[in-house]
Amino acid sequence: MLKINSKTGLSSLIIFTVLLLAWVAGFSSRLFAVIRFESIIHEFDPWFNYRATAYMVENGFYQFLNWFDERAWYPLGRIVGGTVYPGLMITSGSIHYVLHLLNIDVHIRDVCVFLAPIFSGLTAISTYLLTKELWSAGAGLFAACFIAIVPGYISRSVAGSYDNEGIAIFALQFTYYLWVKSVKTGSIFWSCMTALSYFYMVSAWGGYVFIINLIPLHVFVLLLMGRYSNRLFTSYTTFYILGLLFSMQIPFVGFQPIRTSEHMAASGVFALIIAVAVLKYLQSVLSKAEFKSLFIVGASISAGVVFLTVVVLTYAGYVAPWSGRFYSLWDTAYAKIHIPIIASVSEHQPTTWFSFFFDLHVLITTFPAGLWYCIKNINDERVFVVLYALSAVYFAGVMVRLMLTLTPVVCMLSGIAFSVLFDLFLREEDTPRSSESDVDDEQTVSSNRRLYDKAGRVPKMKHEQVKESDGIGANLRSIIIIVMLLLLMLFAVHCTWVTSNAYSSPSIVLASYGNDGSRQILDDFREAYYWLSQNTADDATVMSWWDYGYQIAGMANRTTLVDNNTWNNSHIALVGKAMSSNESAAYEIMTSLGVDYVLVIFGGVIGYSGDDINKFLWMVRIAEGEHPKDIREADYFTEHGEFRVDAEGSPTLLNCLMYKLSYYRFGEVRLDYRNPGGYDRTRGAVIGNKDINLTYLEEAYTTEHWLVRIYRVKKPDEFNRPKIPFSKRIVKTQNFVSKKNTKRRKGTLKNKPVVIKGKKLATKQS
Amino acid sequence: MLKLSIIFTLILVNFLARTDADIINKNVERVIDLSSQLVKVSATITLQNAGKDTENNYLIVLEPNAHANLSYISAKDSFKEEMKITETKDAKYGDSKVFSIKLNQPLAAGRTGSVSVEFIYTGCLIPYPLSIAQKDKQLVRYFGNHYFYSPYTSTKQTTSVVVNTRSIENYSKLKPVAQSDSSITYGPYNDIVPLSSDPLTVHFESNAPFLTVTRLERLIEVSHWGNIAIEENVDILHSGAKLKGSFSRYDYQRDTSNNHHSIKSYKTILPAAAHSIYYRDSNGNISTSQVRMRKDWIELELRPRYPLFGGWRSCYTLGYSVPSYQYLYKGDNNQYVLRMRLIDNVFDDMHVEHLQTGVVLPVGVTNVKLSTPYSVERLPDSQTYKYLDTKGRPIIRFAKNNLVEQHIQDLEITYEWQPVMLLHEPLLLSVALYILFVVVIIYVRLDFSISKTEHLKSQ
Repeated sequence: MLKINSKTGLSSLIIFTVLLLAWVAGFSSRLFAVIRFESIIHEFDPWFNYRATAYMVENGFYQFLNWFDERAWYPLGRIVGGTVYPGLMITSGSIHYVLHLLNIDVHIRDVCVFLAPIFSGLTAISTYLLTKELWSAGAGLFAACFIAIVPGYISRSVAGSYDNEGIAIFALQFTYYLWVKSVKTGSIFWSCMTALSYFYMVSAWGGYVFIINLIPLHVFVLLLMGRYSNRLFTSYTTFYILGLLFSMQIPFVGFQPIRTSEHMAASGVFALIIAVAVLKYLQSVLSKAEFKSLFIVGASISAGVVFLTVVVLTYAGYVAPWSGRFYSLWDTAYAKIHIPIIASVSEHQPTTWFSFFFDLHVLITTFPAGLWYCIKNINDERVFVVLYALSAVYFAGVMVRLMLTLTPVVCMLSGIAFSVLFDLFLREEDTPRSSESDVDDEQTVSSNRRLYDKAGRVPKMKHEQVKESDGIGANLRSIIIIVMLLLLMLFAVHCTWVTSNAYSSPSIVLASYGNDGSRQILDDFREAYYWLSQNTADDATVMSWWDYGYQIAGMANRTTLVDNNTWNNSHIALVGKAMSSNESAAYEIMTSLGVDYVLVIFGGVIGYSGDDINKFLWMVRIAEGEHPKDIREADYFTEHGEFRVDAEGSPTLLNCLMYKLSYYRFGEVRLDYRNPGGYDRTRGAVIGNKDINLTYLEEAYTTEHWLVRIYRVKKPDEFNRPKIPFSKRIVKTQNFVSKKNTKRRKGTLKNKPVVIKGKKLATKQS
Repeated sequence: MLKLSIIFTLILVNFLARTDADIINKNVERVIDLSSQLVKVSATITLQNAGKDTENNYLIVLEPNAHANLSYISAKDSFKEEMKITETKDAKYGDSKVFSIKLNQPLAAGRTGSVSVEFIYTGCLIPYPLSIAQKDKQLVRYFGNHYFYSPYTSTKQTTSVVVNTRSIENYSKLKPVAQSDSSITYGPYNDIVPLSSDPLTVHFESNAPFLTVTRLERLIEVSHWGNIAIEENVDILHSGAKLKGSFSRYDYQRDTSNNHHSIKSYKTILPAAAHSIYYRDSNGNISTSQVRMRKDWIELELRPRYPLFGGWRSCYTLGYSVPSYQYLYKGDNNQYVLRMRLIDNVFDDMHVEHLQTGVVLPVGVTNVKLSTPYSVERLPDSQTYKYLDTKGRPIIRFAKNNLVEQHIQDLEITYEWQPVMLLHEPLLLSVALYILFVVVIIYVRLDFSISKTEHLKSQ
């Protein structure tokens, strides 16, 4: 695996050990959730991925590709095979297949749970390889260790978080490694490998668009910098054509690479590099003056032609304009105005400064240093990492979720920074350079020799270093080293702390800690889902807000109206409308959609803040977007513009379906003696409508802590009963009494001691 | 009309049956225990041989409609010794089931003896009304026979019906009858003709858990490394009165009394040596269980994820391991005997509708013989592969319907097996790793590059 032809076996042994330890550390620090709870799939999207994987393992790959899921988006259904990135399922499915070939019968769920931690090791290795190509093996080892434990990446790859990102970061790093390698060597072999790795990335995650824009950007900037070479030409043209063909093999991607704006940059650069190659060829043929004029004319014409083609194609409808999610990358307020459904997801919010430090800790401060070193000692591949860093920083600032793409480059550049730093401050002390000298130095030196002899800058840099280090005393040196080591240690501590506290909650199982440290598990979600799966008809339809669609499908195996795929905004808006209308209006929508059960999340008893009442305004907003006549957001606020659930709340809110279902019979509950009945712990208020009667629905199940409430939608004959005539009611009571008659017998002891034979019978009957 | 015809047929049957009245039931004391979901009938019969020949067998005939519900029958003599019961056919009794008890001591002419017979019926307590609201009480009805159904004439018989409650709604009154606290005593009735029957009904409140295991799959996996793993897949159903209308968590939380018709939890008894216990379902671990160590067993309090109301079902997987030395015995010539429970306790007074037990034996066993304490339906054997197996492990499988606690008995499987087979997989693994390393060693020493310059560059 490791292509290190180091002459000394010792250094390769050290590299191997460090990488292995990084893998082990990365793997084990992701296991907090498994150890604290159990081996379980987390959160929302992973449940769909798990369900799809289980389906694929059970029915085979081709069945999976043709899978029409009639249990989702009722009554529309969803073509799963064509709307999913299958790389994740194929990866875990093939691991499962291989294990079963060896007759190791691991459940597919366990494969899914542990997939991301295992891939974090592979990510560490590919980061090592990439950094080694960029700088040195020592920097690579630092980067590998960083990425193994950095919270920004752990947040998406803990055990159980079975999501595309878990494997995609590996694919991303590996593709970049192969790309850098192919740019350096100019070999078709490496660029074919890049295309293959890109193919895997496309199959795994929608973030492949980042690659297909970054690599052309790299090429473009290299061209601008006048760094055109035949190596670049070979690697890019090979990669682009193969990558394009490969990426179109994924059903979900299909013809997008030639028809959408997101992919146009790649083809533009492809045209450009060919034009440049032609010019270079002409340059070798033509005289200088001829070439100059030809160059100006040719360049401007070709640029204009390319630009016009794209514009014309876009207007003609051959090329789709940018999709909403991409607009929101440029304009952070875009989604809030135009697509509330994107804005309603918390991970699509802009990143706060706090989370940069939280997710990257000391790395966020050291990575500019690494960036500076890269810029200072620029060469072809370092241009790439600079561009990578700059674009990733921008995207991470726009969307919390894209913190993930920033993390690897931060680790790499910090690795470089630390490596250079230690290189500088450890060097003089090991002047004899015995075999036990630090591996970082050894590697730096050897790779420096190998890599930078062409640029001719490295000796100069070394020269500078030596000069600088001459001025530093031994004590200062050791103080700096110690401080640096302390920083690294704090980093490790911080990573462990963040992982354990912030990113290791399955969010399906909640845990609360008592004053004495005892742990109480709140398992209400699974309680409710299991109840649904066991005690409702197999074809029952469950209406809930889209957040819980995947979980209901995955754990309860029931038909849902909307789920986390959110592909049909109007369907979601219809559900939002049902939730925010009053009961009778909602009943019409529910019967027209064929709803059997309604599921709401209510956190008022235990103070769970992520419940449906807190999300309710998004439902209203999304519903308003499609049905502005029926639903108006302003109706749900008080006159002062507040969203309140207590007696001062707006009457529309107090009588809408979501409110009623959340608080049905809650008004009678007294949680403790200090507060009156109906005190909502999440909102910290006594509810405004305590006397809730349901006409069209009935409570079917409520979990132990009231977290999940399930209601059954009554059939029309159940509430629309004809009035029972008075005489008929009497028949019933007579029946009842006659039953009691038989009880009155000699020797029967009943609770009432005043039984007088014969007499009481008469009094009761009257 | 119907009643008349029943009486008529009864008389006809009586007439037919009268022929072999050599034995007389001198005294029959019958207790019908209705305090759980099962109907446990125990009858102590003092019998007399009124004929001239020595009698070896005593016949038990079931009521024509009762045989589907009979789960278990056993007979003991006056010294509490088990007597052998065989099912026989007798055209005289129509399609009723007939059991013949072989008397431990043949009954000479004129002598008296004693037999106590125990019947366990399942599914005989029918909720009435069939569905109730959450706060209603659960009432059930029992339909039986005032007389002890017997092919012999009974001189005297008494029956007492034990219910676990004071609130008896209604019961049939064939005099003499008396009701005390929680039991009804019928009889004594004298000189009852053979096969006579008179419908007995009791309608009463029952808060006993009406929990039926609709399907129990038990898998026993034997490993000669010293461990036996047991896994049970259990489908349970609350078979009492169905829940009518809505379920209210608020009312449920307020009602703290214990005797409610819903089932919150129940106890499973595991062997004392059980370890690595897990309790889960398709959605993962069920966190609401408790393990309590008792002196001779392990008590597992299982709480389903939700309280079970009438008609609600749930299913779960319960697994544990026991050390094999307690169950696996070595005989001569590499012969091994596995003695394990065919079915184990799920909860007290359990009723299992369908049981399927599988025993996974180690790789390479031969000469497998199965013996069970009662008849079971043997299913075809199959094979399974585990942990790098190259040869399959045989699974012995069998099934049985309608079981109760009394069926918790040991099965016995004998087989032959070579202990060398233990080393099979470790050796396989070592060889595989060895080959891997050798291949890597050879690979690094080879040069696959096509151009020489490339090769030189990399050095």
